[in-house]
Amino acid sequence: MHYDPVLAWESMPTLLAGTATTFAVLLPVLVLGLLLALPVALMRLERGGKAVFAASYIAFFRGVPSLVLLYLVYSGLPQLSVVRDTFLWTVFSNAYFCAWVGLTLTHSGYMAEIIRGGLAAVPPGVVEAATALGLSPRQALFRLRLPMAARYVLKAYQNELLIMVKSTSAVSAITLVDLTAAANTVFDYTYDPFTPLVTAAAIYWCIVNIMRIGFTMADRKLNRHLARG
Amino acid sequence: MPEMGFVQQLGIGALMTIKVAVLSYLLALAIGTAFALVTLRRRLVVGFIWQVYASIFTGVPSLLVAFLFFYAGSGIVASLASLVGLTVTVDISPFAAAVAALGMVYGAYLADLIRSAIQNVPPGQFEAAKVLLVPQPATWLLVILPQVLRLALPGMTNMWIVVMKDTALISLIGLKEIMAYAKLASGVTKEPFIYYVLASVFFLGMTWLTYFVSRRIESWSERGYKPVVKQEPAHAL
Repeated sequence: MHYDPVLAWESMPTLLAGTATTFAVLLPVLVLGLLLALPVALMRLERGGKAVFAASYIAFFRGVPSLVLLYLVYSGLPQLSVVRDTFLWTVFSNAYFCAWVGLTLTHSGYMAEIIRGGLAAVPPGVVEAATALGLSPRQALFRLRLPMAARYVLKAYQNELLIMVKSTSAVSAITLVDLTAAANTVFDYTYDPFTPLVTAAAIYWCIVNIMRIGFTMADRKLNRHLARG
Repeated sequence: MPEMGFVQQLGIGALMTIKVAVLSYLLALAIGTAFALVTLRRRLVVGFIWQVYASIFTGVPSLLVAFLFFYAGSGIVASLASLVGLTVTVDISPFAAAVAALGMVYGAYLADLIRSAIQNVPPGQFEAAKVLLVPQPATWLLVILPQVLRLALPGMTNMWIVVMKDTALISLIGLKEIMAYAKLASGVTKEPFIYYVLASVFFLGMTWLTYFVSRRIESWSERGYKPVVKQEPAHAL
């Protein structure tokens, strides 16, 4: 077992194509997950039926592994004739679409809980002051509560984002050739498991650490009022 | 409808999932505790080794680590052994690779959790134990550990759920656990929906069970912090 730099260089195009797939899966999931999480988090903060629905949504999608969701969407749903015999089939037969759906559901479950925590941490006096000054609930939400919550949850969002980067390796199970699957392809051709897998690991490591640096900078900018002078 | 034979197989797979998850978690706890204890005080060499370890294992997907251990594990073990002049040939089973990968990845996360729990025990506790001449082992075991447990339990519960869910992902290296059997059953019966729903019910059930048990353990670990008698509001008010 030794690291073969020549093979690593030669397999770079395959691995970078895998990295592109990883991002093609990741980026829509991050956007859609965030958009879906916001209403769920707001419902969770209300009382009654809506809160129960939001709580069970969060509990379900946080409790089920993303691989199970991916299989359920990719090979489970086509069993239902509603999906198989209608226009839905054209989208659900696409592996990318299924990966987006499966991972978005998982991501939105976690994000809803994070946003709920952030909104709950906003001091009630701020909301009362906004009401007293005549801001509509919508204005108070978008101009005050969400910007404040964003600052509180930055650390939690960083953790969740890095977890999502790493969870995208699950999409290799539904035939997409992401970075992990690309490394396995190189292994299949060359019978050298060590070099491609370690190279792929290095690429993941770079992605994750660039994101960490980005978050540190964002934290410094957004939370500069908390920094010690 | 699901056939009983396949459901039985899912049960066997579920036991395997639990076995892998429990063993990985115990390994992660051992690694995490060891790293937490040696990195308590700032020491250059140990601190550097920990930084490298944590950076690698928290920066790489656990699935990739498992693939690496499974396919290249025997090579890694052989070359490590040849460093000390031994010739060893080992076959790495998917089980061993999964446990090693999950244990090493989540050991890095647990070490941070346990270290900050130890650091959050009030320093007066260590000082009081020293003044009272409590021997070192007894200090750690009877004074510090129970308090660390109280502080670390919520995080440890979350980590257990994460490890259990990651076990499903690790099945891709060829582990015969619940997902593998669900896939097998779906392939044979052409009814994938039912078997994947059953698998998700298993994971939901385990999560629920975890919260149920952890609430009991947490309230046990908080004994001495909560008043035994509930404080009733005074009648006159």
